[in-house]
Amino acid sequence: MMQVHTSTIGDATVLRCDGRLTMVAAPTLRSAIDEAVSGGQVRLVVDLAGTSFVDSSGLGALVAGLKRARQAGGDLRIASAQEQVRMVLNLTNLDRILEPFDSVGDAVHGW
Amino acid sequence: MAGEYRVDTLAVPETLNLLHDLLDRVREENPDVESTDLMLFETAVIEIANNVVEHGVPPGTIRYTFVLDVESDRLLGRLSDGGPPLHEHERSMPGTDSENGRGLALARVALDDLGYERVGDHNEWTMVRRRR
Repeated sequence: MMQVHTSTIGDATVLRCDGRLTMVAAPTLRSAIDEAVSGGQVRLVVDLAGTSFVDSSGLGALVAGLKRARQAGGDLRIASAQEQVRMVLNLTNLDRILEPFDSVGDAVHGW
Repeated sequence: MAGEYRVDTLAVPETLNLLHDLLDRVREENPDVESTDLMLFETAVIEIANNVVEHGVPPGTIRYTFVLDVESDRLLGRLSDGGPPLHEHERSMPGTDSENGRGLALARVALDDLGYERVGDHNEWTMVRRRR
């Protein structure tokens, strides 16, 4: 079962997803993003270093999170995506809006 | 043929791990299959199974069988489910702002061929990924 661990770096909130980000786990990420944005944290980094697999439900959670963060005046960035995640982002064209940063450090740089 | 792999289970979110476990076993037992091929095949299988789980009525009562053959030139998957007929199996990839509707489109682009047929009271899916 995927776990979401939340931490902060400067103004950014980092949500680390460990495991498979699938139909079963996507609601957990959606809730974590909702909670962060409701609490006024609108600069979000989803750390995918420990995410071995993503499906269309997981992608939906990322798109929803991106929209939620932008509506609140912030943004959502993804970092450290592994090979399957990168391929799926590419195949669905979502790498146009969710550009994968190489690391969490790169993602928060300049924020 | 290197071997046959099979899962027969209830279409509920909790059993999707059986498919991931099966693909892990295929990976271990067939080190000659390119990891990209298996990765994309797994992506497609999970999307098809997600679809069965999501559209199966009454929820939690539908069963499916998935069989994977590792052949010398391709990965061949067949999934048979007792869910209702599907009318939108050729949906195109939604725009980037859409929060859903990508499942079958993603399965299609991850494979070389995705077939769907209604046979009697079952849906029959055929998934082919040519080995690179």
